[in-house]
Amino acid sequence: MSRDETLKELGEAIVRGDKERSSRLVEEVLGEVDPLAVIQRGMMPAMEKVGDRFSSGEIFLPEMLMATEAWNEAMRLLKPKLLEAGEGVAKTGTVVIGTVQSDVHEIGKNIVVTLLNTAGFEVHDLGVDIPASKFIGKAEEVNADIIAASAIMTTTMTYQQDILDHLIAAGLRDKYIVLVGGGVVNQKWADEIGADGYGETAVEGVRLAKELLTRKRGG
Amino acid sequence: MVSFREILERATKGPIMSSRDFDMKVLIPKVREVVQRYEIRYDPETPCPSDDDLADRIHQAALDLYADAGTYVIDTERVIQFSRKEIEEAIYEAPREAYFGEGPDRCVFKGRKPDDSEIPHCHVGSGTDTTEDVALKMVEAYGRISKAKTVSIPSVTAFGRLKSAAGSPVETLAGISMMRIGREGLRRAGRPGMGIINHMSSCVQGISTIAASNPEFGARPSDGWLIAPQAELKIDYSSLNQVAYLTSWGANIGQEAGPIMGGYAGGPEGTAVVTTAYCFHGILVARATYHLTYPVHITHVASTTPDMLFVVSASGQAVSRNVGVPYYALGYAAAGSATRQYFYEAAAYLLAIQSSGMGIEDVHPNKAVVTNGALPIDSEFTCSLGHGMAGITRKDANQIIKKLIKIYSDGIKNPPKGRILDECYDIRTMKPDDDLRRTYDEAVRELGKLGIRFK
Repeated sequence: MSRDETLKELGEAIVRGDKERSSRLVEEVLGEVDPLAVIQRGMMPAMEKVGDRFSSGEIFLPEMLMATEAWNEAMRLLKPKLLEAGEGVAKTGTVVIGTVQSDVHEIGKNIVVTLLNTAGFEVHDLGVDIPASKFIGKAEEVNADIIAASAIMTTTMTYQQDILDHLIAAGLRDKYIVLVGGGVVNQKWADEIGADGYGETAVEGVRLAKELLTRKRGG
Repeated sequence: MVSFREILERATKGPIMSSRDFDMKVLIPKVREVVQRYEIRYDPETPCPSDDDLADRIHQAALDLYADAGTYVIDTERVIQFSRKEIEEAIYEAPREAYFGEGPDRCVFKGRKPDDSEIPHCHVGSGTDTTEDVALKMVEAYGRISKAKTVSIPSVTAFGRLKSAAGSPVETLAGISMMRIGREGLRRAGRPGMGIINHMSSCVQGISTIAASNPEFGARPSDGWLIAPQAELKIDYSSLNQVAYLTSWGANIGQEAGPIMGGYAGGPEGTAVVTTAYCFHGILVARATYHLTYPVHITHVASTTPDMLFVVSASGQAVSRNVGVPYYALGYAAAGSATRQYFYEAAAYLLAIQSSGMGIEDVHPNKAVVTNGALPIDSEFTCSLGHGMAGITRKDANQIIKKLIKIYSDGIKNPPKGRILDECYDIRTMKPDDDLRRTYDEAVRELGKLGIRFK
């Protein structure tokens, strides 16, 4: 098999979510192909395809999670080589994400996390039931660009506002792009609390993250 | 049936597992496995199937799934497991009837069968966000609908300058306040004994439910108290606390579940299986006497697309044919209230669930995310259709639904916003304005041409 064929097959293994096959193929090409090229030519187009298929409803969350696991497995092998070579994959931006305080719903947030990963963001997923101060603490720690907060219930939406209140109180409001989402959240609520953006769907949320970040950077 | 004490013991003694492992290593592969084993297939041409064998296979698949997966307890990171025999025994012993309300307003909600000739249980109202100034009027308007057997009361999350937040003292006050408003609204409607069966849509935390259940505020065990799991097949101690309290009180518990189509359950086939499995979880873990399902689509949320109609219809048939518990479904229309599209979407959903052997509830406009977005006229529509279409078969329903989907499918992505209560009702009299009445009449006339009768 030629290198190009191997990279193509690696991409297909990731799309299928075949962890074992993707790690075997990475091992096969590692000595011959630059690790960055493996990611850029073999793996990233595959994850883009996964994201597109999810957006169009061709595949669902299980398939996307399996593809992510295959990606992670391949990255586990590639990371030491990248470090050795002093290379790094350019990241789109850094996001701190979580479900707000008193809310333990995670599926929607997990989809956004996966799509952000596939879009090249460095994602710090805090999990569920996260108080406002933890969002901000983590954002400060990792020098994030974006804080994204999910709320699924009318009684937990309020905690999205809390995050903005905490940012204002700490004099950090302008430092971060704040995105909100979740089942009961809508544009009106996002405007009311002064969030920078609202994504009705995970795909829309990620698109917005990229757009707002580009705008903030003056792009 | 396995006792509740035994459930609590299993919650603390069952196998330890991380939540992610439960999703990735148990739920996802098991759902895929049973969908294949029982050859469950979704056909977009048949949003409301009339294949008894398919319904029974979905039931068998759900039994296998629940026997393998069980219910995950978030707080203890353990799994409550059941043998297939224990699940089948619980199904055999589960109540087939639930009694709601008091005195002349008391009613029975029975399990039905697909193609059943009996009028379905007509449940009205909505637990969607509503402003404090109109909540009482809304409940009163719901109570005045004579065909309605039980009611959902609105959720009020803002009291003056105070905003309710889960776990906060304001949530407790919101729960108590809604209980009082609900009972007073029904008293004003002349139906003080009517069962309110969506307690507590204003509250998330168990402590608020327990606080609001003080009879001093109008709460009764003959109301219905909803217990929500986390997607998929997970429960937390807050919900189990509610079950511990409500079973000790002898109250009606409703198992509510909103499985996510496109989430961990996968596509329509897997989601139909998981939706059915929730019923077993409801009987055993939530100790439910009635069951509510509201599957939602992972991206567009609406439940009126062909795949979502298949999920609710096929799982509804699996339950009504094989379990027979009181079971109803709540749908989310993409269209806003007071629009023709809303009535078309609502008709499709109501026909799917009614013909599949379920009870009916108002389809919520605007995916239930708009404050004051639910209207009493939605309830009038639900009950008139439910009575008019008693006895409709799945086959006939499927034909009408397909025609309806053709009419509204383009409007799912960019639905009409519609008007909220304040914009299309005289709040003082709670009468719809002329525009809304005209829209309603036109929709009913058009639906009549498709063979839908209203009574």
